[in-house]
Amino acid sequence: MEIGLGAYLGLAMVLFGIGASGFLMRRNALIQLMSIEVMLNAVNIVFVAVNRFHPADHVGQIFSFFVIAIAAAEAAVGLALVIALFRIKKTVESDNADTLRH
Amino acid sequence: MNDWLFVAPLLILGLGSILMMLVDAFAKEKSELAILSSITMGVAGMISASALLSGAEAADAPEMVTRFLAVDPAALFFDVVICFGGALSALLAGGYLREHGLERGEFYVLLTLTTLGAVVLGRSTDMLSLFVGLETMSLGVYAMVAFRRGSSTAIEGAVKYFLLGSFAAAILLFGSALMYAATGSTSFTGIAAAMGDADPKLVLIGLLLIIAGFGFKVSAVPFHMWTPDAYEGAITPATAFMSVAVKSAAFAVFVRILFVTFGDELSMSLASGWPPVLAGLAALTMVYGNIAAVGQENVKRMLAYSSIAHAGYILVGIVAAFRVGSEAVSAVLFYLLAYTFSNILAFGSLILLGSRGREAVSFNDLRGVGRRHPMAALPFILGTLSLMGFPPTAGFLAKYYVFSAAVQAGGSMILLAILGMLTSAIGAFYYLRVTVFMFMRDPEPGQVKAIPMKSGYVVGALAISSLFVLGLGVMPGDVLEAASRAASLLLG
Amino acid sequence: MFAIYLPVLLLIIVATLVAVGMFTGTSVAGPKNPTPEKMLPYESGSNTTGASHLRQSVKFYLTAILFVVFDIEAVFLYPWSSLFRDLGWFGFVEMLAFLVILGTTLLYAWKKGALEWET
Repeated sequence: MEIGLGAYLGLAMVLFGIGASGFLMRRNALIQLMSIEVMLNAVNIVFVAVNRFHPADHVGQIFSFFVIAIAAAEAAVGLALVIALFRIKKTVESDNADTLRH
Repeated sequence: MNDWLFVAPLLILGLGSILMMLVDAFAKEKSELAILSSITMGVAGMISASALLSGAEAADAPEMVTRFLAVDPAALFFDVVICFGGALSALLAGGYLREHGLERGEFYVLLTLTTLGAVVLGRSTDMLSLFVGLETMSLGVYAMVAFRRGSSTAIEGAVKYFLLGSFAAAILLFGSALMYAATGSTSFTGIAAAMGDADPKLVLIGLLLIIAGFGFKVSAVPFHMWTPDAYEGAITPATAFMSVAVKSAAFAVFVRILFVTFGDELSMSLASGWPPVLAGLAALTMVYGNIAAVGQENVKRMLAYSSIAHAGYILVGIVAAFRVGSEAVSAVLFYLLAYTFSNILAFGSLILLGSRGREAVSFNDLRGVGRRHPMAALPFILGTLSLMGFPPTAGFLAKYYVFSAAVQAGGSMILLAILGMLTSAIGAFYYLRVTVFMFMRDPEPGQVKAIPMKSGYVVGALAISSLFVLGLGVMPGDVLEAASRAASLLLG
Repeated sequence: MFAIYLPVLLLIIVATLVAVGMFTGTSVAGPKNPTPEKMLPYESGSNTTGASHLRQSVKFYLTAILFVVFDIEAVFLYPWSSLFRDLGWFGFVEMLAFLVILGTTLLYAWKKGALEWET
């Protein structure tokens, strides 16, 4: 008895949807950053799960290593930017960042 | 030995940026990082250019390299576009940062590393190298946009760009994960080979997600929201870099992925493939970009919308290629090169026209500056003429090739070509409006007059770009030949 | 198809029931006579002062970010070390290059003063 690939893909899609809707609905830059991390983890689930079904060169697992490492770098840059925004604006709500309005 | 030539640009960029980090960290006196980074990128570009023009073939490049990075003529062509864009931006930065008291070595290190990321992205033949290149490039650009730390416009532009850019990267990545799930491969050719047995629904979702992700990166409408803010907030050399090298790299890999991975019958069909999606994006982008540019009061913002509009023209070329093949792709390659030099001219002379404390960014700042300092305004006119598509500049030929490819493709593509020409006419209006402000308006009483800065770096970059804009417009022969060879080998 | 996971489901249900049951049980059956002392966060401790949401210095952030970025690079060492013998000298040189680059960036962060606590 084994769980099929479909279940993993379903889980990943749900997780990705949660992340994407969180990104689109929340206006707090930190929460948006966290939503992006959720989306990246959905990607990781797909890669690791599929790797089990196509284990030829383990490219899925390698890929997820890269995603983890790059997500950390992305979070570092993102947090630095959010801190810079906070220093100037005293808020992290991306809606209040409205000096640039067309 | 010959094979090293094809990865040399990457090695030079990588080693060069590490060297520059060390120089920046340890040098006591003011270091000449501007010239160092410009030379690094210029040499990398020239190696690719000479390999491309000499027609050298990567006979048996090791599989370890080709598994992830292309060594074909198209890769070399994109190297040239990206590296020259980076080198010229470094020269612009050398003048700008010093003039405005922002001279910090990080900028040049970031610029070189970002160029490295862009080259990797432009050459990638696997989702893995695509992702690594994309993020190396994007993370560097986010930091470059936020370079003026104390300015709220810079930080806001950077936060918006970062959030939407990472969101786009996640979408793109999920699309490639689904392609991996459908085909069991992450390399562009591997996916294409397994496409026959793949679940068509997964492939379609994956394709749409990948197109949406690239739509953000090349700032196609409706994924363009970040563009004006990031362009306005960033310091002008960074804006110039974003508008040329970053955009070219995104288009480079987009073209490759569309024709190598999604080049099968089903994905290219009019009913369920990418051509109708991209055609719609192209039409929206051309119309919206040009119309929104008209009402802008800030020249950098106007150029941001103009760069959105140009993304639309380039998309027309890409869509046309699904019928006409390599001819349209070579038009796209030529367009990217012409666009790089024209945009550097426009942003470069905007930099040249301002000086410390009085940066010239709005139309009002530019009132009458052309009459007072005609030599400094000249490059702007040449650049915008080329962006408009006015002969005998490179921009004219680029537009001509793209639209004639669309006409050749026939059918509804002719409508796209007509739409492109009509919207270009709108473009002429807002580009010429700047010239009108420069030459026919007097400064308002009491207004601070813009005084051009003096910088050999900026003048040098402008001279080189002018030479190329005119040279490519008058005798495009060799470049066109290289572009068409690159395109036909890319389409295989 | 998920039949083998039935025990897990049962465990979750039982655990939830026990927890909810205990809470409702005590709140229904237990005696209530609150006094101000009983409502303090620490009964028979010293009184709390100040806000509970203290601003932390941004220096912690910088150090933590640097730690995370360098720490995460270690993921690339695991697959390499498990294949160390197969990869031979080539793999060794590759990893050495990776570590030299990583070391250079650390040196850069150090010289730029990112590791200084007092700035």
